Amino acid sequence: MKNRLRELRAAREWSQSDLAAKLEVSRQTVNAIETEKYDPSLPLAFKVARLFKLPIEDIFEPDHQ
Amino acid sequence: MKRPNLPEELDLLAGKKEYSFRTDLKVNGWGYVAMVLSFAGDVLLPRHKDWHVILRAIIALAPIVPALLWGRIFARWIRGMDELHRRITLEVCLLATTAILFLFTALHPLDKAGVFQALGLRAGLDLHTWWGTSWLLVCFYILGSKILNRRYR
Repeated sequence: MKNRLRELRAAREWSQSDLAAKLEVSRQTVNAIETEKYDPSLPLAFKVARLFKLPIEDIFEPDHQ
Repeated sequence: MKRPNLPEELDLLAGKKEYSFRTDLKVNGWGYVAMVLSFAGDVLLPRHKDWHVILRAIIALAPIVPALLWGRIFARWIRGMDELHRRITLEVCLLATTAILFLFTALHPLDKAGVFQALGLRAGLDLHTWWGTSWLLVCFYILGSKILNRRYR
C-alpha cells in the first residue's frame, strides 16, 4: 500500500520519533510504514488520519489504484 | 503518552543504549529462576538416586511453576508492544518453537539409528532437559529475531 506519511510528517517538521510518540508506536514502525514495508492496521490508520486531520484515503492508497 | 514495549529492551546484542537490565529482570526474572532450578536438578538428581521418589519428582518438576509465571509475564509484555513489534515477536516465537520441535523430533530417530552412539555422544545429547531446551529456545529466538527484524528495517 502506498502512503503519504513521510510527506505529511516532513510538512509538519516532525521527526520519525516525534510521529512515533504521537501515535504511541515505535520509530521502527513509523519507518516501516513510510518505506511501505509494513501496512498499518485499521485502528492505526485511523489514528494517523485523525492526527493529520485528513480522510484515510488521502493518506493511504491501495497498490492497484 | 503511552510508550510501547520494545524488543530491544531485552536484547543485549542490540547494544547498551537500548538494553534495560531492569526490564530484562522484570520480564525474564522467572525464566532465570526456572533455568537455575533446572540446572540444579540436572546436577543433583543423577548424584542422589537414593533420595525419596517424591522429593526427586518435586526437584525434577520444580522449574514448571516459574516457567509458567515467566510465560504469563512474557505474554503480557508482548501485548504491550506496538502492532509491528508484536507481529515480529509472535513470528519469532513461532519460528523458535517450531525449530525446537523439529530438532527434538529429529533427535529420537537419530538416537534410535545409533548415530549418537557412533559419535561417542550421550543419547539425545541431553538437550531435552529444561536447561538445554531453554538455551536452545533463546538461541533460536535471537536468530529468528535478527532475520525477521531485517525485513522491516
